Amino acid sequence: MMIKRASIFLLLAQLAMMALPPVAVAQVSKEVKEFDALHHSANAYYLDIAPFHPFELPRIFVVQHKDGSYGLDLFRSTTSAILNGHYTVDHSAGEHGPAKDESHEVATDGGATAEEHAASSGIEVTLEDIEGQLLAAEGSHIVLDLSISRHLFFAWLSMALLLFFMTRLAGMYKRGIGRDSAPKGLFQNFFETIIMFVRDEIARPNLGAKTDKYLPYLLTAFFFILTSNFIGLVPFGATATSNLMVTGVLAFFTFVITQLGGTKDYWGHIFWPPGVPAFIRPILIPVEIMGIFTKPIALAIRLFANMTAGHLVILSLIGFIFSFAQMFGPGAGYGVAPVSVAFALFVYLLELLVSLIQAYVFTMLSALFISMAIQEHDHGHDHAHSVGHVSDHSETVSA
Amino acid sequence: MIVLAVDLLAPDAGLIIWIGITFGALLLLLKKYAWGPILSAMTTREETIHESLSQAEKALAEARQLQSDNNKARREAEVHSQAILREARDEAERIRTEEVDKTRVQIKQLQDSAQAEIEREKDNALNSLRNEVADLAIQAAEKILRENLDADRQKKIVDNFLGDLSKN
Repeated sequence: MMIKRASIFLLLAQLAMMALPPVAVAQVSKEVKEFDALHHSANAYYLDIAPFHPFELPRIFVVQHKDGSYGLDLFRSTTSAILNGHYTVDHSAGEHGPAKDESHEVATDGGATAEEHAASSGIEVTLEDIEGQLLAAEGSHIVLDLSISRHLFFAWLSMALLLFFMTRLAGMYKRGIGRDSAPKGLFQNFFETIIMFVRDEIARPNLGAKTDKYLPYLLTAFFFILTSNFIGLVPFGATATSNLMVTGVLAFFTFVITQLGGTKDYWGHIFWPPGVPAFIRPILIPVEIMGIFTKPIALAIRLFANMTAGHLVILSLIGFIFSFAQMFGPGAGYGVAPVSVAFALFVYLLELLVSLIQAYVFTMLSALFISMAIQEHDHGHDHAHSVGHVSDHSETVSA
Repeated sequence: MIVLAVDLLAPDAGLIIWIGITFGALLLLLKKYAWGPILSAMTTREETIHESLSQAEKALAEARQLQSDNNKARREAEVHSQAILREARDEAERIRTEEVDKTRVQIKQLQDSAQAEIEREKDNALNSLRNEVADLAIQAAEKILRENLDADRQKKIVDNFLGDLSKN
């Protein structure tokens, strides 16, 4: 498993940093402690607060029992689920299976309760188990895994931070500061600048008169993405936006809002593209329908890929230190460290920039997609006269 | 690479549900308790500023108008005063020339009357002279007749008379 993982991240590193010299993967020794970029980027059910023992997060399962009835299982942690809930780790699932024997076991030496249970039940819960797929006790199976994962935890953290700071900010405005007088202090001025930026540079140029209707969503998306991105850059933090599920949900919101705002013109453009020769329409209509979905999917993947890539590159760069140490001895590790750290720092700064840019891009494109859907216009193409009266009609109707 | 895909792209329905619910809740909460008050306050402030600006502009325009009105009034007053002055000057000039003309006429009248007086006096003097001369001639003839003397004597008498006459 470790060789496989090492090869993955080296491959990744090479893909990401083509300029760096290739490394012979086969030489990686098995004894050296594993360093895995994916562990830090992927989702998991614990908080990595090294050097302390990982802080396990609650597990919540909707299970269907043998007799067909549904139940809700709540556990304080994965360890607890294994020890008290008769859950087992699915060793055959995915890539964990065949490599299992080679991986070294990380003892749960920090968790006192886990040890107690382990002692009483005779089962040892390893970090490997915590990361593994859980199977419900005999006869029942997990219908829905509502567990609080790492990415969910940090998404909630950024939501909580947003709620706390933004309601405080709103309180200032409610007291009249910023309404009847100039905004006061760093806090208010800082956030007002960003809010104004979103309003005046993102929402207004795209949405015009309908800005007020969509601005709350755009602001929420912008600040949530920005906060999540930044939390991922804080030590011990994880990037919720580097999870495709999270970005997918965000894109889904944009998708729903876009479709709900869609005007006659918008749907007309999709299902009966104006100004196009009839024989092109059978090609164009499916493309237009696909376009409805590709836009939000692109939104989700763009944000996910951008936020994941930066972290993988940083972790891969740091990983070079250990790979070199494994392959050519500790000296090589120390030798490559300054270069790796310098590059990682550079990428880290780049990630700061990317965090801002991606929050901007997501919001900007959301505003753009919404504006495309809510537009009511006389298309300026050559077909204007053929459908002119139709769009004129729709304009008068909506006006 | 398949491993990578499994790890990073694994579908997670629970996470989707949680994020969907909580992000929706965040959206509603922020909309109600944060963006609403913040954006409305910002709009109010902007409107206030906009209003104040337009009011200031209006006041400035009014002041400018007032100033230009004042200027115009002053210029008009100046023009008016100059007209009055000119009128007064003209009037004075007119009165002066009138007076001069009147005086000239009077002088002329005085001259004329004086001339007439002089003429009359002259006529009177001539008349009285003529009478005197006639009287003297008569007296001289009388004396000649009375004396009735020779020629020498007469001549002497006439010379004496003429000598007396010139003495008178």
